[in-house]
Amino acid sequence: MEQLIEQLKAQIIEALSFEDMTPADIDTDAPLFGEGLGLDSIDALELIMLLDREYGIKLADPKAGKAIFASVRTMAEYISTHRTK
Amino acid sequence: MKVESQIEITPTSVVLNGQAIAVEATGEKMLVELYRRFVGDYPKFFKMDTLSRLGFIAAELLLKHSGASEHSDKSCQPTAVILANRSASIKNDRDYLATISEGNYYPSPSLFVYTLPNIVTGEIAIRHHIQGETAFYILEKPEDLEPILLSTFNFKLSTALAGWCECSEPNSFYAKMQLIIWNN
Repeated sequence: MEQLIEQLKAQIIEALSFEDMTPADIDTDAPLFGEGLGLDSIDALELIMLLDREYGIKLADPKAGKAIFASVRTMAEYISTHRTK
Repeated sequence: MKVESQIEITPTSVVLNGQAIAVEATGEKMLVELYRRFVGDYPKFFKMDTLSRLGFIAAELLLKHSGASEHSDKSCQPTAVILANRSASIKNDRDYLATISEGNYYPSPSLFVYTLPNIVTGEIAIRHHIQGETAFYILEKPEDLEPILLSTFNFKLSTALAGWCECSEPNSFYAKMQLIIWNN
């Protein structure tokens, strides 16, 4: 799980163009939206694309996104049980 | 119509009110260098396409580092942003197209939002709290903007940020922007 979390942080940094940021700068349990990284709706779309592109996960239920994208840890947990690649 | 201050940016040079600003990097990396030196507190810059980065940096230097507000007897806070170029958002359009090419269908939302050239005027307006008009024209050459300013905006505006903001290829761009005051 820890390896997946570190990989996911690197992918988030690249996908969201967080220059100057390293995986160590992202708190695994901090909220991704609002506080924490302060992501916006376009970032949310990028994260959905990231799940599809990197892990073969298509989010069919938009309501599920709130829980999945709560933090890097919740994303990683979802990926580990739903990934198809 | 009086030009209060002016900035010109090419991939290798920055000239603000006739004074060159020394830069080490060139092309798109130069825009990042300018951001780090003169801005630094607006991370959204890194999500912008090159056209918006160019316009954003030009506006930032023009409005916050030109000294215009210090020696003018009028308020130099612009009430409008009026820009133009020849190639619209073609550089970013190509980048976006690359994300929906055959066999790689992952259209990027963050690239899609910059597939209109007038986004740069919005980015500038948001940053500087400009709540008046914004307009972006597609013209053949920079000189074609002045007749529009005179015919369309004369007597309607007091101060505006206006000029050319062009980016057609990676590391190929040109901005010439002015802070204009109407003596109405």
